Amino acid sequence: MATTATITLTSADIAGDPVNVSKTATCTKAGATTDLDQTTGLNRVHLRNATNKVLLAANAEGNDLAAKVYIINKSTDPSLYLTITINAQTVGKLYGGDWMFFPWSQTDTSANIEVAATNWTSSTGDIPVEYALFHEDTDFLTNA
Amino acid sequence: MATTTATITLASTDLLSDELSLTTSATLTGAGNATGITGTAGLARKTVAGGHAQYTLFDGNDYDADKAHKLYLKNLSTTATEYFLITVNAEDVGRLYAGDWALIPWSAHDADNDIKIDPSANDMTLEYMLFVD
Repeated sequence: MATTATITLTSADIAGDPVNVSKTATCTKAGATTDLDQTTGLNRVHLRNATNKVLLAANAEGNDLAAKVYIINKSTDPSLYLTITINAQTVGKLYGGDWMFFPWSQTDTSANIEVAATNWTSSTGDIPVEYALFHEDTDFLTNA
Repeated sequence: MATTTATITLASTDLLSDELSLTTSATLTGAGNATGITGTAGLARKTVAGGHAQYTLFDGNDYDADKAHKLYLKNLSTTATEYFLITVNAEDVGRLYAGDWALIPWSAHDADNDIKIDPSANDMTLEYMLFVD
């Protein structure tokens, strides 16, 4: 059940020499070479709230495992951003078109991944967000 | 203005009963604008030697707050049990196991917003690159 994640970073002009990084990771279970075999599938929500909303709720059974999270801000407006937090700690801002892919160890049950359409107003329109979780915890049945 | 592109492909022929094939690209731009990010710390490596203690990879004090920095991380270990625990300030994000990579937006929103790594074994090497807004 191999799931692979490939990143390619390219730039011809950000430095004196071109940047060309391409790496592929096979998503495996914690400390093993066994493939991750659970996923939420690709989800889509439309955010219209400047306050934090739980995107993925941490689960004790997922503690210190090797889950991977993909999130993309599908807005085409570069000024509209999502604030990504884990247990109230701001990680970063995902601007229109940006994506992120990262490990999520669900260190405790407070380690929810939350998103806020921080500069959303009724006149900006919704911010579409797509996300997927790849994991090994079979008790993780639903998100928030 | 520079043009830097980050592309991800998620693929699996057997995780689900239908094939998974997702590819998307983002041009790395400044906070709230369409201007390409122009700064980078370059592709670098850090080997955390004996004691495998937590190490501050990037100090929030050193970068402008509330920006659209992007951080690429890759665990170069080939031993499946070896991981780097990635932490922002005091909050654990996740364990980056051998061969895994991550791309994370980093807003450096305050001085405490440091990026820290904590290897699970001695002499593990992390490859990383920060794109600076």
